[in-house]
Amino acid sequence: MKVRVEYSAQLRTALGRAAEDVDLPDAATVRELLIQLAATCGDDAAQHLVTDSGDLRPSLLVIVNDVATPARRNASTTLRPGDVVTLLPPVSGG
Amino acid sequence: MSDLPYLTDDERDRYGWQLTVRGFGEEGQRRLKAATVLVSRIGGVGGTVALQLAAAGIGRLVLAHAGNLRLNDLNRQLLMSTDDVGQQRIESGVRRLRALNPHVEVETIAENIDESNAARLVARCDVAVSAGPLFSERLLMNRAAVRQRKPLVDCAMYELEGRLTTIVPGKSPCLACLYPESPPLWKREFPVFSAVSSTVGSLAAMEVIKLIAGFGEPLAGRLLTFDLGDQSFRTVRIDREATCPVCNDRA
Repeated sequence: MKVRVEYSAQLRTALGRAAEDVDLPDAATVRELLIQLAATCGDDAAQHLVTDSGDLRPSLLVIVNDVATPARRNASTTLRPGDVVTLLPPVSGG
Repeated sequence: MSDLPYLTDDERDRYGWQLTVRGFGEEGQRRLKAATVLVSRIGGVGGTVALQLAAAGIGRLVLAHAGNLRLNDLNRQLLMSTDDVGQQRIESGVRRLRALNPHVEVETIAENIDESNAARLVARCDVAVSAGPLFSERLLMNRAAVRQRKPLVDCAMYELEGRLTTIVPGKSPCLACLYPESPPLWKREFPVFSAVSSTVGSLAAMEVIKLIAGFGEPLAGRLLTFDLGDQSFRTVRIDREATCPVCNDRA
């Protein structure tokens, strides 16, 4: 199945694109999406998705179906074909 | 309402354009006049918050920001002037605020938020605004606001993007529900335009005005994200973390 993945802030910079369609096995979870992306997107972007030990970044927010949740909390959310997933690395003021 | 301060004729004239805003009115203006707002840092975001709140007629601003103005602050720190480079930032900023609206009391604290002052500074305000670049400061503001049950507007940005939420203790998730610790990859210097920081600041100021005057719908339990690259604005739901060490333990 295909899902639409949107990249924000540092992720967008590291990847050089704002969004793309990603092929995933049917009924893949948010965790599976993030692990697949981290394995294929290069180190600059991957560090915003997973830690050095391979855990999901605790501070990465993931928007699925208009709800933003830290990746560690919605890792087991099952994705459906056509879902739009927005990835928000942590940013701050100044 | 009877214990709210009355408006002078001069104030009625000054605020005339906003006194007719639906849901606001003279009572809303009197609520603003009675209120104290803490702004953590008066850079690109917080300086705009302070400027907007001064224009709107907040009674008292407590502004916390350490350090001297640098030349590369001036692409976004709109309270300051080129002549102020090298001077204490907080004193430069306050001159513009006082010149804009002498009715507003402005108290300056030449410190950034830390463990030693967060609770004390939050205790002095009705609403707090977190506008600094460090997650450690934002998380300290969050903890103090949750413990004292004070609303906190939390601001963030990057390049052409902005994010904003309002923490209303007891009603919304808190910042620690989203960020349990300071993210190790965050770098305090990052790409941004003033047009972005001042947009975030203006949105935050509107949250403060709504919270104090009691109208509109603050962003409690919602995260606003926007991208000025394509001018897209979106609000999404955010939920409390049941095991959050900050807002789960509140009395």
